[in-house]
Amino acid sequence: MRDAYIIGAGQSAFGSFPDETYLSLFEDAFDTAVASVDGELAPEQIDEAYLGTLGVGGRQIGLSGPAVTEHLGLHGLPTTRVENACAAGGYALRSAVTAVRSGMADLALAGGYEIMTDTSADQTKWWLGVSGETEWERLSGTTFAGVYAQMASAHMDEYDTTIEDLSRVAVKNHANGAQNPKAHLGFECSLEDAINAPAVADPLNLYHCCPTTDGASAVLVASEELARKLSDHRIRVAGAGAASGRVGVYQRDSLTGIPASKTAAQRAYEDAGIGPDEIDFAEVHDCFAIAELVAYEDLGFCEPGEAGRLLREGITDPDGQLPVNTSGGLKSKGHPIGATGTGQAVEVFDQLRGEAYVQVDSPTVGLAHNVGGSGGGVTVHVFEREGGAA
Amino acid sequence: MSADDHRGIDAGAIYLPRFRLSTDTITEAWGLSHASGIDRTAVPSADEDAVTMAIAAAERVLEQTSVDRGTIETVAFATTSPPLEEDASSGRLVRALDLPADCETASFTGSTIAGASALSRALDSCGPSLVVTADCPVGRLADDDHRLGAGAAAFLVVDDAAVPVVSTGWHADERPGVRYRRAGSRTVENLGVTNYERAAVTETVGTAVKNLEVDLESVSAVAFHQPDGGIPYRISRELSVDSDVVSHGTVVDRIGDAGAATVPIGLLLALGETDGQTSAAFFGSGSAAAFLFEGSLSVHGLDDLEEGVDLSYAQYLRERGHVVSGEVAGGGANVSVPNWQRSLDQRYRLVAGRCSDCGALSLPPEGACQSCHARDGFDLVELERTGEVEAVTVIGQGGSPPEFTEQQQRAGSYAAAIVTLTDGEETVRLPAQITDTDPQSVDVGDTVHATVRRIYEQEGVPRYGVKFVPLD
Repeated sequence: MRDAYIIGAGQSAFGSFPDETYLSLFEDAFDTAVASVDGELAPEQIDEAYLGTLGVGGRQIGLSGPAVTEHLGLHGLPTTRVENACAAGGYALRSAVTAVRSGMADLALAGGYEIMTDTSADQTKWWLGVSGETEWERLSGTTFAGVYAQMASAHMDEYDTTIEDLSRVAVKNHANGAQNPKAHLGFECSLEDAINAPAVADPLNLYHCCPTTDGASAVLVASEELARKLSDHRIRVAGAGAASGRVGVYQRDSLTGIPASKTAAQRAYEDAGIGPDEIDFAEVHDCFAIAELVAYEDLGFCEPGEAGRLLREGITDPDGQLPVNTSGGLKSKGHPIGATGTGQAVEVFDQLRGEAYVQVDSPTVGLAHNVGGSGGGVTVHVFEREGGAA
Repeated sequence: MSADDHRGIDAGAIYLPRFRLSTDTITEAWGLSHASGIDRTAVPSADEDAVTMAIAAAERVLEQTSVDRGTIETVAFATTSPPLEEDASSGRLVRALDLPADCETASFTGSTIAGASALSRALDSCGPSLVVTADCPVGRLADDDHRLGAGAAAFLVVDDAAVPVVSTGWHADERPGVRYRRAGSRTVENLGVTNYERAAVTETVGTAVKNLEVDLESVSAVAFHQPDGGIPYRISRELSVDSDVVSHGTVVDRIGDAGAATVPIGLLLALGETDGQTSAAFFGSGSAAAFLFEGSLSVHGLDDLEEGVDLSYAQYLRERGHVVSGEVAGGGANVSVPNWQRSLDQRYRLVAGRCSDCGALSLPPEGACQSCHARDGFDLVELERTGEVEAVTVIGQGGSPPEFTEQQQRAGSYAAAIVTLTDGEETVRLPAQITDTDPQSVDVGDTVHATVRRIYEQEGVPRYGVKFVPLD
């Protein structure tokens, strides 16, 4: 199996753009990704496209992927729409990597798009949480905030995790996002603000929840041969791991972790031939504050129950040992469902090229962790810059 | 019915919703009250209706009797406030209570005498029969509603009963305008021709009671038709029955007029607290029915008469659904009615699957085992109805799926939990709401008990299923 490389990545601004369409936002992301390629890329060189979206609002439930590539003038390109809820983008990337690694494609486009802020309040209620387990979990009265809040309650009960621990996720990620001009909620918040925000689903409050966001992102995945021609940087997909889990939290072995995250991470580490100790920075799926804490533990950054300590000690701050969510994460950069996974890859790409808004000091290995729903589908990708830091 | 088989009531239970509205609160809100002789009324929660109260009362009676629910041959249900005007709920009771599917079912509605019809149906039947009366009538807020309450009573009727019925008396007449509900309306009305209405009740009930083979002086308690606190005493004065005897079977002062269920609740109070002969007399739509019983019973749920949580008038209006914005329009996720129907054994009876391969439990019992992931099939088991909260959240305004928007408007924030349930040594989890409590008070580790409530309503079809109530 051959290697796959990221030669370009870009995203639209994430935010609330009711005047835009999923087509126009993806056009922006695609053009930015193509422009980020060092060499001259002709769009006709793209062999395959995998585009992630949940399709919030039901605007184009069928065939939205082909609609996007035709809109871009990539006429006739084989395009697959990927749906794995909030991990649609991560799975689109995985598909593109697989296409290149297998030799089927020399250049594959992975991306995602979502428009979430142009629907009425009533419509939005229906769409939020469509990826939770519907028959039992949703009909016990929960959307994702509720399900993650239940996980938080169990984590707090088992490990004495506190509201302050949860709130530190918001403080850190907002501080990062405030420096990212493409972030949806690009403002800082104090620990006091984050602790005292209005409740959404107890124990989670407004600052423990990511926003609903419009946005698109695109990543160009190339063979080694093509990457050598088109790229001055050697950003290799060192490890690709993915796993499924029960869609309902209640059906899983653990309420305090996401089993599919653990499995996906193990597979990615094994594929990359490294362990969590060798990760320089990570973009993790912080749809809710508890999700970032749980991610630290599931990804092996610390032992179960230790995540709060990492935050308290600043280990995951940009200048810490293991910076997490330098982009602002889902919390501040935003969470346009289908675009989130490849949006994380954009940040990793920028970091490894030394071009991030909140730049980590000389990183060579980055990780992206994308969770679908509350853990029904997870991807973990490890990216390595060959030949040392930028 | 033959008097020889001593058919009658062998077990009884009442269920009252936990909320109360005091007449003082009504007076404060309206400047006066139309709740003569009533101190407070029982108020169903937003997730309760006549069906859920019926299930709760029936579950109590089935829990305390030695009669196996699998031997029930007849179910008779009475209410004046069915959740749907057409779609009788007796089949739902059979399913929710795990009664034999081949039992005879009967639903009575349209009149407060429905309680007598249901009781009579069971007395006329063979074999163990379940009678359930449950009601939560609604009236015009400015007046009639002041006296209307809620509650449920369930009876097990068998041969050789602890409390045999020794005599019955009926009287039928046309007395229009006393209590009626127009087509398409949920609001009961009466014309307010006071003397005419009083006479209609006292005369017809009095005649039915006189048709009993009884010396009224020897009766130790009576539960007479009681739309307010005065009427049963008026009836008894006509019959020269002592007011102490009336008070033994009068509950309207504590629960309000619970339609077809008021007299049954009063009857059970009398059977639970007095010995000797007890008469119950129903009235509705110009007709009256009287029953005479002999003996006493241990009645489950009588404590509900003295307990309860007081509501403000604003809370009352919300909880009863008088002020809500209605169904949320939109699309997205949806569980079809056929899929809901397919899951009723889980939603009512907590039926899980024990993996044929590893023995672990899965809920719902479908697909691969949640533990070993084998697809070797399941042996169905009914889980214990008491479980433990393993994770919990409080869903505030706006945080609920649209199916629960109306519930939230009516009842406010609610607790959504993951509950661990057991069968022997094995455990399995179920997400469900914790109801009948302050949601903020629910903690991981709390012990909770299963109950059947309205989960939500869509396209006019109410969907019922399991919620849990904290055990003290």
